[in-house]
Amino acid sequence: MAEEAIARGLIAVGAGLAVGLAGIGAGLGESGIGAAAVGATAEDRGFFGLGILFTVIPETIVIFGLVIAFILMFAFH
Amino acid sequence: MLKPEKMVKVSVVGPREDFERVSDILYGLNLLHIEDPVEDEYFKLGEPFEKAGIISKSLVQLRSILAHLKLDPEKFVPRRKYREEEIKAELDRKLEEYRTQIGAKIDKIKELQEKIKALEDELKVIEPLKALGIPPKLLKGYKTIRAFVGFIRADPSPKIQSITSDYEVFLKDYGREYVVAVFVKAEYGDDVYKVLQELGFREVPIPDIEDYDSRIAEINSQISQLKSEIERLEREIEDLKEREAELMLAIEEYLSMELEKSELPLRSLVSKYAFIIVGYIPAKKFDEFKSRVEAETSGRVAVELLEDKEFEPPTKLSNPPVVRDYELLTLTYTTPKYHEIDPTAIMAIFYPIFFGMMLGDVGYGAIIAVLCLLLKRVLRGESIQKLLNIGFYSGVVSVIFGFIYGECFGPFVSVEEGKVEIFQHFCWPILHALGIKEFEPVFDRVSPMGIKVLLFITLLIGIFKILWGFALGFYTVLKEHGFKEAMLEKGCWILGVLGLACIIFGFSYNLGVMNYMFHIGPPGGLPPLPLPGVVKGWQKGLNPFYLAALPLLLIWFVLFVMGEVPKMGAMGVILAVELLTWFGQIVSYARLLAIGLSSVYFAFVFNYLGIKMALPPGMAILPLGIFVLFIGHLINLILGVLDPGLQSLRLHYVEFFTKFLEGGGVLYKPFGRIKKFLE
Repeated sequence: MAEEAIARGLIAVGAGLAVGLAGIGAGLGESGIGAAAVGATAEDRGFFGLGILFTVIPETIVIFGLVIAFILMFAFH
Repeated sequence: MLKPEKMVKVSVVGPREDFERVSDILYGLNLLHIEDPVEDEYFKLGEPFEKAGIISKSLVQLRSILAHLKLDPEKFVPRRKYREEEIKAELDRKLEEYRTQIGAKIDKIKELQEKIKALEDELKVIEPLKALGIPPKLLKGYKTIRAFVGFIRADPSPKIQSITSDYEVFLKDYGREYVVAVFVKAEYGDDVYKVLQELGFREVPIPDIEDYDSRIAEINSQISQLKSEIERLEREIEDLKEREAELMLAIEEYLSMELEKSELPLRSLVSKYAFIIVGYIPAKKFDEFKSRVEAETSGRVAVELLEDKEFEPPTKLSNPPVVRDYELLTLTYTTPKYHEIDPTAIMAIFYPIFFGMMLGDVGYGAIIAVLCLLLKRVLRGESIQKLLNIGFYSGVVSVIFGFIYGECFGPFVSVEEGKVEIFQHFCWPILHALGIKEFEPVFDRVSPMGIKVLLFITLLIGIFKILWGFALGFYTVLKEHGFKEAMLEKGCWILGVLGLACIIFGFSYNLGVMNYMFHIGPPGGLPPLPLPGVVKGWQKGLNPFYLAALPLLLIWFVLFVMGEVPKMGAMGVILAVELLTWFGQIVSYARLLAIGLSSVYFAFVFNYLGIKMALPPGMAILPLGIFVLFIGHLINLILGVLDPGLQSLRLHYVEFFTKFLEGGGVLYKPFGRIKKFLE
């Protein structure tokens, strides 16, 4: 029983790590793009929409993390 | 739809004496997209017609007046339109009137403003002196004494003491500095001046006046007189603006048109006796174009169809009304080339659906839809109107998905359990009015099964759209290089993605998603990934989908090797890793679930906090509870517009368009204009 409880706990920790680390990664990616996008927007206001769009592109990584977390939570309990 | 409008290349050739007439006709037709010409030995670029100089001069004057009146042709909505004949008849008289009436008044206002500024500067000098309290005639005009009057940072007395004891200092606090008047004997003047400068002394010129108060009163009355004069002039200008705005803008439009017409020669080639213009027009308009031009010039000007090797027509997107709003989003990505597929129609279907799937809330959706309708009355720009239309459609679809998920300002939670429930209070009355007596959300996306099902659905959409993209690519290669090439290049990836799809299906099957949705397979609980040797009891997890995936992936791999190895050598096999990219792109569609869930939980948390605070036993902090609810939902609404909007856009740009759209085309921009202020 105790072993199963530990396994469940580890799954939850794994799910948390998957989302959290992916979030850090995406944040690192977005920081560079965001800075460049702000710079480009300062030069040309028309770039604003495209700039926002570029900034959200690395967000896919978090989605991967989230899917992994879901799979861990639902498939391996 | 899906394809830009068919274009043909034409040339318009005629004698030079008809050039102005032709310019008028072409401008009126508003059809010809002119191709910028290249000069050669005989044909050179033309020069603007003579009238261009006068027109552009008048236009500059008129536009500067319009700028002062803050009349923007883009934003102004005219109440009436003028006929061109009316404008032509009145043009010179009206332009003169604007110059003398409005232009002169504007100049007068500027002059008066300068006067006011001079008076205010004088006030700035007098007021500190008045604070000092020494009459002006005592501050200057001495023979044996030097007087210093001005601003200073600190009291100079101790420092002056070290030079001479025979002095007089008057000091008054004035804002961040002091006003000071220092009197010393003339022979110590220079030394004292140095000391004062060390303390940041700034001298003030003493005005030639008798008395401070009477002068200040005089200045103030002058200023108010000037201000009322300016007000009167501005009222007059405002009256004129009210009366003449439409006519002024109509004249501006007329002059702009005339200027564009007279600059046509810059975009065409002329020889000594003839001119030639080359451009593109929509194919279905060719006959009309040819007959109109030739008839109106009595056949002296010829319009010919050109079968040129250099055929690079501009892109004229042709979509039905609602779809047209989404052209804005396609064009933000790129302008499709003439030969390419125009994905606007596909986007018009999927964009609002994706947005709705993510937001999926009756309350937020309704607010967005209503807000967009209201803003449409205020914000007039063309592209902002399109954007607001898109927002409106997205809001409506969000409401529909809100009913599917059973969400209104947060998730569906039943009242019996004593939890927070906004959906029922807002949405039951609507449903009852529609005659629906019983209502259960189709599925609750916050429940564990709801998440699994929605995840499955989003991946299904992903698989569908990726296969669609490859199918469009397959079609293109098939037409250009035949079946074998298409199969090796694109077809094998279709099989590969199908194999991946089967693995995803098998996984969902074992989790019981299929059972929940289609009542096939087990209700869940089987090992999701039946890997022999890794998972205990893996035999139970084997299902038809996994069995189907194996041959599909095998065939894919064989086809891939057949296609790639001849090109890349044995190392080409490594490129098979690319299959993981497509897997990543399928999973990327899971954002349709993820973004929505985060917004649901936001709303849930704020509802919980707010209502726990607002309802007994915490009744005492009711206002705080309402405040938390309001702020919380406001934040969530802003995020709910921004995030689903961008992510939905991204799913199209990154995951879909890249499969078949290269872009970089030129947008169709005919010579002419759609009149706004003229009939």
